[in-house]
Order: sequence, then structure tokens, then C-alpha cells
Amino acid sequence: MAKKISTKVLTDLHLNMVRIRRFEEEAGKLMEDGKIPGALHLYVGQEAVASGVMAHLNNQDQITSTHRGHGHVIAKGGQFSPMFAELYGKATGYCKGKGGSMHISNMALGILGANGIVGGGPPIAMGAAFSNKFRKSKQVSVTFFGDGASNEGSFHEAANMAALYQLPCVFVCENNGFGEYTAQSNHQAVTDVADRAAGYGMPGVVVDGMDVMAVYEAAEAAVKRARSGAGPTLLECKTYRYYDHVGVRGMGLTYRTDEEVEAWKQRDAIESFEALLVKQGVMTQKKLDNVYARVDADIQEGIAFAESSPFPTEDDLLEDVYFVGAKS
Amino acid sequence: MRAVGLVANPASGKDIRRLTGKASVFDNREKLAIVRRAVVGAIAAGAQHFIYMNDSHGIVRQALAEIDVPRGIKFEALPGPESSSAMDTVAAAEQMAQRDCAVVLVLGGDGTNRAFVRGWRDSTLISLSTGTNNVFPVMAEATVAGMALGLVARGQIKMAAVAGQGKIIDTEIEDEEPDIALIDAVLTTEVFIGARALMTPEALREAFLCRAEPAAVGITSLGGLIKPVSDRDEFGLHVTFSSAGKRLYAPMSPGTFESIGVGQSKRIKLGRTLRSQGPGVLAFDGERERVVGLGQKIVMQMSRTGPKVINLSRCLHKAATQKLFVRSN
Repeated sequence: MAKKISTKVLTDLHLNMVRIRRFEEEAGKLMEDGKIPGALHLYVGQEAVASGVMAHLNNQDQITSTHRGHGHVIAKGGQFSPMFAELYGKATGYCKGKGGSMHISNMALGILGANGIVGGGPPIAMGAAFSNKFRKSKQVSVTFFGDGASNEGSFHEAANMAALYQLPCVFVCENNGFGEYTAQSNHQAVTDVADRAAGYGMPGVVVDGMDVMAVYEAAEAAVKRARSGAGPTLLECKTYRYYDHVGVRGMGLTYRTDEEVEAWKQRDAIESFEALLVKQGVMTQKKLDNVYARVDADIQEGIAFAESSPFPTEDDLLEDVYFVGAKS
Repeated sequence: MRAVGLVANPASGKDIRRLTGKASVFDNREKLAIVRRAVVGAIAAGAQHFIYMNDSHGIVRQALAEIDVPRGIKFEALPGPESSSAMDTVAAAEQMAQRDCAVVLVLGGDGTNRAFVRGWRDSTLISLSTGTNNVFPVMAEATVAGMALGLVARGQIKMAAVAGQGKIIDTEIEDEEPDIALIDAVLTTEVFIGARALMTPEALREAFLCRAEPAAVGITSLGGLIKPVSDRDEFGLHVTFSSAGKRLYAPMSPGTFESIGVGQSKRIKLGRTLRSQGPGVLAFDGERERVVGLGQKIVMQMSRTGPKVINLSRCLHKAATQKLFVRSN
């Protein structure tokens, strides 16, 4: 375990969470204003998970993400300008405007793709882990998925094979209590997804997903275990999304109460971490304000970049559809 | 007849020590089975009224749904859960105190029992281990624990003969809510609570122990391997840690041995006050719990004012002597 966590690690964790929060808040507004086409599944509330896990990965390590993937991309090193451009459907986006919110990928950052298919990520990450082990590359692959995805056959098959071959893979279940609009108690009999780990032959751990340091410590142990060749781990991070399944405040559905949302906000990962950083003398209020100012400036720059970028042309329509072989 | 209380912590036995050590996983189906066996045992011994914490995972509720309950047996769920945190256990304990439960079955580790005692200090407990570091709760067959629950609820066993009052550490933290520990209180140089478990020996500053058990894991074993202190002793142990001191090789958590630099160790009589100050993080019963700021004062005192704990073996031997399970056809 970490013997002494540096100030830089602590401030980076905070910065990452703030970058995710502010990006998502602005993206939500732009969607509601009709500037961003299509639907966004926003990550507000779950920032501690992506930030705490990604702190232990390098650019060679791979991740697979979900339909709620912006936070993972930002924490893995994604920049605002190509992200906003992708959301706007512009040619300067990470996927040249053809992927949109749910399919951002970037091989240079090890982002094997967000994925609109619930449970689509685990087999991809497991396959990458198989390759990593086969090539003895020391890379680790991490797959993020939700409580709903943990019911899919694709998750079970990936977990089984990862454990069988002791692959360098970390399964991170972001249990936000709902599969879309269905409460966990209405879609699975177990209350802790981590309990399923024993059935595959891997360790399972429950983590407070609203505490970035709890996620950081657990992810450190899981990534270290994977990288050392000891095999996969299932980390279940109990978290909560403040916004609706889609958009900011959705269609007035009654699947959860305002009181429930407010109760989770009382445990907000960013606010509680900021209180800790100030109490321990790591940050001051002025330094915190500077972080927000810097992030907001980046966001405005990203939005301006996206809005001034061109759309892909008709000639680009069939480009990047099929892989036709590596160029020599 | 007074009621039996039932508390099952859904979060126990699942933390990071499954990864950093080789700790056992306690899945919630197993806890459910333990509750079921305990309730069957309690009913067999004559318990008629149960009050239970409505935990966020529905462990007790589901356990009761799987039992053929004889007529006349009453189960009552307390309101909740409110927070899906340790505060649910604290709240349940407060309500069980108001309802004057004769005895409470607590499933969890040291942390769960600490949370319960925060809500009801003068409780009478049978605590079964479903946690990680388990000094306070015992490993025992739930059916037998249930039999003891029933005997105590019926008032057939003299409490003085089978229950002992435990030690407790009261901790005052300047300008904040006080706290308690049932086994040990530790001041560390950590800066955050994080995954809670104490895993970094270099971060240990000092420990105050009610029990220093060499036949256990965790902080209690660090003291126990130097100067053992049992629950019966009318003193505790204070240990300071120092990288310049002698090295102690001890199990900080299940399956994890560490080399720890130990400074001084000293027996401390009950009632004596120990003082310290931040910065750091205070850990109670093996888990980081409270962040203490620079210069923030800490005052600790140990006393024998903890909960009463039923000795299962003694209880069942008494029942045998009194032939409480022998019936004429």
C-alpha cells in the first residue's frame, strides 16, 4: 500500500474530479439548450470512482467504458476540446464526430471505447488483458460497468475467463443503485455485486464510491495485483448519479425521490474531499477557487473549439468504418 | 417476556483487506443463513419476541421469510434504513434500548459492535463474527448463540453468572463529537480515512488498548505480542511506535505480517487519562474513523463501563445444569 501519498497525488485527484464535474455540468446545459445533438448520460456524482481508479493507470493501460463514459475519458487524460467537438459531432472530435457521447475512444490514451451496449465493455477489456498477458506487456486493463451490466452474460463470461487465466484485469462495478430507471432490488437478488466474485474465483471488495481516497486505496491494491500477475479483482464502488439516466433532470419519472438524491448529495465526493484537504492544510480556499477558475477557462476554450470546428463532410461518411490493415 | 434484538451489518467482511491480505469474504447470503439458524435456536429456547434492524440489504427480513415460524412468535422491524451506513446500527441500538431488549445478537466485526455500543452502551450482547478483525465478536455456531438468546430473553439464566461487563475507551476530540473504542484506539499519521483499514505500519503513532490479544490479528496483536492484556484485566496497554525502536513481526490484518517499530509499552490503570493531539487520523477498533487537525486535542480514558457480553459456553452449561432443554415427553 501507499506509504505516503504526496500532495501532488491529492491535488491531482481533486483536479480530476472537478474537471469531470464541471465538464458534465456544462455538457448538460448545452444539451438542454439544443446545442449538443442526441442524448447524454452524465456522470455527475460518480467522479470519485473514475478519478480514484485512473490514478493508478498509465497511458499504456487500457480501459473500457460505458454509455456514461465522459468521466472515464477525462480521468484517463482526455482533453476538453476534442471531447466537446465529439459531442457536437464535429470533425475535430476524438472520433471525428462520428462516435458521439457514447463511443469516445482514443488508442493513444488506452481508451478502448465507451460503449452504448450495456455490458459491452467487459469482454473487450478481458480480451485486451489476455493480449497483455500473452505479450507479457505488464499492461493492465480495467473495465467499468454498472450494476445492471453485472446481470449480462457478457460480464459473467468475461469474469469467468479472466479468473480462469488469471488475467491482468480489474472489473470496476459502479453501482449507482439503478439500471437505467430500475432499482437494484428490482433487477438482482444480491445486494453486493462484489459477492459474485467468489463464484468466479476472484476477490471481490466493496468500496465507498463517494470517497475518492477509499477508491484510490482499493484500486491501488487491485491494479498492483493485476500487474504482478496475481489475477483479476472485482471492485464494487457504491455511488450515485445526481442527474437522471439521460440528461440532467429527465422526464419527471418517479423512480426515485428528491429526498434520496439530496441525501446522497450530502456525501458529495468533491465537497467532502475539499473539506479534508483544507483541514489537513493541503489546500486553501483560495487554491480551490483557482482550480475551478482554471477548469472553467479550459471548458470555455473547449466549447469555443467545438463550436468553431467543421462538421465531417459527406466524403468522410465511409471513412474509418472498416479496418483495412496496418500501414507499413 | 423481553424481546431479543437482531442486528446484521450488510457491509461487514467485504473491505479492502480481501485484497491486501487474505481475509475471508462474508457474503450476505451467509449472514442471512446465520440469522436464520440463530432465530431457530432462540425460538427453541423459548424466545417469543424479536425486534430487528431493518438493514439496507434486508438480511434479517429475508432470513425470517425463510423460517417456519410457530404461532405466537412476534417479529418487529425497526424503522429504516436511513443512511445505509454505520449510523443505521447506531440508530437501531438506540431504539432497542428504548424497547428494553433483553439481549441483542450482533453480526459483524469489531466496527459493527462499536457502532452498536455508540447507540446503546449498557446493552447485553451476543456478537458473532462476520467481519475482518474480530476480537470483540466470537466465532460460534449461530444455533447455539440463538439458544443463549432465548435463555436470556426468558430470564432463565442469572446474568451475573454468564455475562461480563467489558472495558471501553472514551475519546474526547476538541470541538467535535466524542467517540469510543471497544478494543483499541490508535493515533496515526495518516491524512485521510479512505478504505478505513489500518495497513501502513509506518503511520502508527500510538495505541491505547483495552485488550492486547496475542491470539488475534490487528492492532490488538501488536500489543498482545509484547504485553498481553485480557478483557478481565483491570488495566489497559499504551504502546508508542517508533522506527528507531525494536522491530515487532506481527499480523496487522488477516494473512498480512508487517515489521513494526515499537517504542515504549506501558500498562495503564482504568480511569487514568491519556492526552495527545493532531494532526493525524484516529482509528477505532482497527478502522480509520476520525481526521484530527493540527493541534487539535485528544483525551482518552478507559473504564469498565462497556456492554455486557454473554459467555455462550457458560450460558449453555448453566442451561444443562438446570436441565432447561430436558422436557418430559
